Amino acid sequence: MPTFRDLPIKQKLVTIIMVTTGTALLLSGISIVGLDSILFRGYLARDISTLARVVADNSTAALSFEDPASASESLAALRARTHIVSACIYRADGTVLARYARAGSVPPCAPPGIPNEIRFTRQDLTATRPIVLNGRRIGTLALVYDLGEIGERRNLYGGMVLAILFASAIIVFFISSRLRATIATPISQLASATVAVSRTRDYGIRARKFSNDELGLLVDAFNEMLAGIQFRDAEMRSVLLSREDALKEAQSARDSLETTLASIGDAVISTDIEGRITFANRVALALLRWPETGVKGKNLDDVFNIINEHSRAPVESPVAKVLREGDIVTMANHTILIARDGTEIPIDDSGAPIRREGGPTQGTVLVFRDVTARRRADETSRLLASIVQSSGDAIIAKGLDGIVTSWNPGAEIMFGYTSKEMIGRPISLIAAPGHEEEMPRILDRIRSGGRIDNFETIRRTKAGRLINVALTISPLYDALGRVVGASKIARDITGQVQTAAHLAQLNADLRQSNDDLARSNEDLERFAFVASHDLQEPLRMITVYSQLLVKTYGSGLDDQGEVFLDNIVGGTQRMRDLLADLLAYTELGARPGQPAEAVDLNTVLQKVLENLKVSIADSHAVVMASALPTLEAHEAHLIPLFQNLIGNAIKYRGTAPPRIHVSVAEADGHLRFAVADNGIGIEPEYSEKIFVPFKRLHGKGIPGTGIGLAICERVVERYGGRIWVESEPGHGSTFLFTLPRAVNSQGCAPESAHISAVKEEA
Amino acid sequence: MTAQAGNGRAHVLVVEDNPADVELLRYALSSAEVQCDLMVIDNGGDALAFFQQRGKYSGSEPPDLAILDLNLPRYDGIEILGAMRANRAFAGVPVAVLSSSPSPRDRAKIEAFHIGRYIMKPPNLEEYLRIGLIVKELLEGGRSVS
Repeated sequence: MPTFRDLPIKQKLVTIIMVTTGTALLLSGISIVGLDSILFRGYLARDISTLARVVADNSTAALSFEDPASASESLAALRARTHIVSACIYRADGTVLARYARAGSVPPCAPPGIPNEIRFTRQDLTATRPIVLNGRRIGTLALVYDLGEIGERRNLYGGMVLAILFASAIIVFFISSRLRATIATPISQLASATVAVSRTRDYGIRARKFSNDELGLLVDAFNEMLAGIQFRDAEMRSVLLSREDALKEAQSARDSLETTLASIGDAVISTDIEGRITFANRVALALLRWPETGVKGKNLDDVFNIINEHSRAPVESPVAKVLREGDIVTMANHTILIARDGTEIPIDDSGAPIRREGGPTQGTVLVFRDVTARRRADETSRLLASIVQSSGDAIIAKGLDGIVTSWNPGAEIMFGYTSKEMIGRPISLIAAPGHEEEMPRILDRIRSGGRIDNFETIRRTKAGRLINVALTISPLYDALGRVVGASKIARDITGQVQTAAHLAQLNADLRQSNDDLARSNEDLERFAFVASHDLQEPLRMITVYSQLLVKTYGSGLDDQGEVFLDNIVGGTQRMRDLLADLLAYTELGARPGQPAEAVDLNTVLQKVLENLKVSIADSHAVVMASALPTLEAHEAHLIPLFQNLIGNAIKYRGTAPPRIHVSVAEADGHLRFAVADNGIGIEPEYSEKIFVPFKRLHGKGIPGTGIGLAICERVVERYGGRIWVESEPGHGSTFLFTLPRAVNSQGCAPESAHISAVKEEA
Repeated sequence: MTAQAGNGRAHVLVVEDNPADVELLRYALSSAEVQCDLMVIDNGGDALAFFQQRGKYSGSEPPDLAILDLNLPRYDGIEILGAMRANRAFAGVPVAVLSSSPSPRDRAKIEAFHIGRYIMKPPNLEEYLRIGLIVKELLEGGRSVS
């Protein structure tokens, strides 16, 4: 439960007003009631005293005459006053003459006390009055008056006071409720402004002013204070920010310095004035072979051992020298650093004191670098120089202006100019007539960073001889990567060029004769085709008409005439055979109309045997064959091939019936077929002639056109194969030919020979 | 379907440049006792004009049979055959092609025209005489249709 202290101001105000007003009203009410009862007692005392005197005076006669009736009568008049409880008239001796009592009460008429006295008791007031006659007291009157009236009055007044109090409390409450706003609202505004400021830290907030009283002043003062704070806050903030910036800047500067130092390509070590290491960058640690932790605080001399390359004597550390001399020290060359693990590293090093301007030396910084690569580069360049010197090729360097800067002995020999003659002179000295334009163009190309490889051209020697050279020219760069000149390697290719020209001529001649040959071959083929085709027409006429002649006039001819006519018919028949074979032969040279397809040679052989059925039967020939493969080829080519070979074997048979064996074997990635017979054989000197068209070894005794083997050769060559004969006269011949590997060589094992067609001897 | 001459003899058109072949054809026809009038055109130009009914052939009438040698100088026999089939008047005329060309390709082209017969020029008399019988058969086939 909140204590009064914690109540909101508006409740406090109301409470204060209510309490104050209530208290005031209560106090005044109590005062009024109290005062009234006091005053009323006085009034009552005087009133009753007066009443007593009146009654006493009226009773004088009765008393003096001892007339109790009259005395009672005068007492009875007191009935009008309801609060008179009782009245007694005493004689001088104190006995009661008359008495009066209010209905319902029996008054004890106590012996009278001190006359002429007003005495208050708790409940009533007793007034005694002497009854005097002629200056002599003849009796006493006593009245008892009850004080109930006072209580009534007090109750009445008290009730009124309470009513007034209640009414005023309500009125005050309402009035104060209205009035308190004038104080509480500005205060609560102020309070909420304060809360807002403290919560948001926004010192731009201002409290609203409602009046010009002290609250107004308070608001003004508050706002002024806020303004002050705001200003100070902004100031502080900017100061803070600038300090922060400065801090950051300082930090980043330190970072970058540290990073720079750490990532610098050279090894860096710094020491204090005592020569103890305070910092070593990564490169330094790597060179020294020290782990990152461990070097700090060590004496430099314990870590950095250097000796002279030649004498191998220890060299004084540059730090000691710097500390002694207080100046920058650069060590002589030929210093070798001995790393922690004993590795010897050639280095360049230098030391410098660390000090602020004008201040004392605070330490030293040692910078050193591994010069192994440079040593190697020096060696390489010495090696390159000796290669250049000893090269048989001319190796020349020139500036972008074409002025020669280097000229090796190879160039001296090739061009006849000594290096003394050429260095400093323009390269155009060796330009050949008609080639002067080349050099500026080459330099342009080099200038833009391009290079030239194996550019073959002509140059002129000092003696005026023109030589063929192959040039390889590349740009020369300076340390900044700018093209500053060109290096040129020239090779004398005069001999090569002459040989190449000769070769090219030979090649061209060969190609020409090849083309000529191909063309004449083609012409010949076309001629043969046309001839064999067109010659058939007139031949047909001769045949048919000579037959017609025989048919129509044959009966009129004598024997000789018939022989003549028979000769005509026979000649034309032979010519027809020749032409048909020639046509077949030339057609084999034509491009194939159909794509090659899988051809089963077993089927081909069956067809061939069918075609040769008659001659096989007539000669009682036996044809045997291995299982043959399937080839990617044209059946129209393979049938004449086998038919001619087998037909020949039958045709050129010996005395025994022909035995022919067809076989196949794999050899060098292709198939080698063999058709062997037991015929008359062929003399070795004819083993090649037999494949020439129309070349025959035999006369009319054995019919034939002489084209069969030519057709065979053509077919085989068409498939990229070769055909030849192996024969011993009188012991048969074997015709062999190769064809590309079978598409499907299934079952082509030569050993599993079987007889494909057998004509048993009759 | 074709007009018959009043005397009942069939009209046979022969396109053939070789007179010797024409002579043999006549012999074969007479040997086969074919009663017909032979009209001979000996060059491709005239043959084309005839089938297109142009020039002096503007009034040409379709024969009962056409025997064509397709190996004519300067003219493609296929072209002549095409012209004939393109003319509605000749579209129904039965054709026998006489050829000395052994080329299967030509033969395939010709067969696309649905020729009645394709006859290789025979290399001997015996086979030549058979042409007469073939013509006779073609003419009778035509008659039986009409």
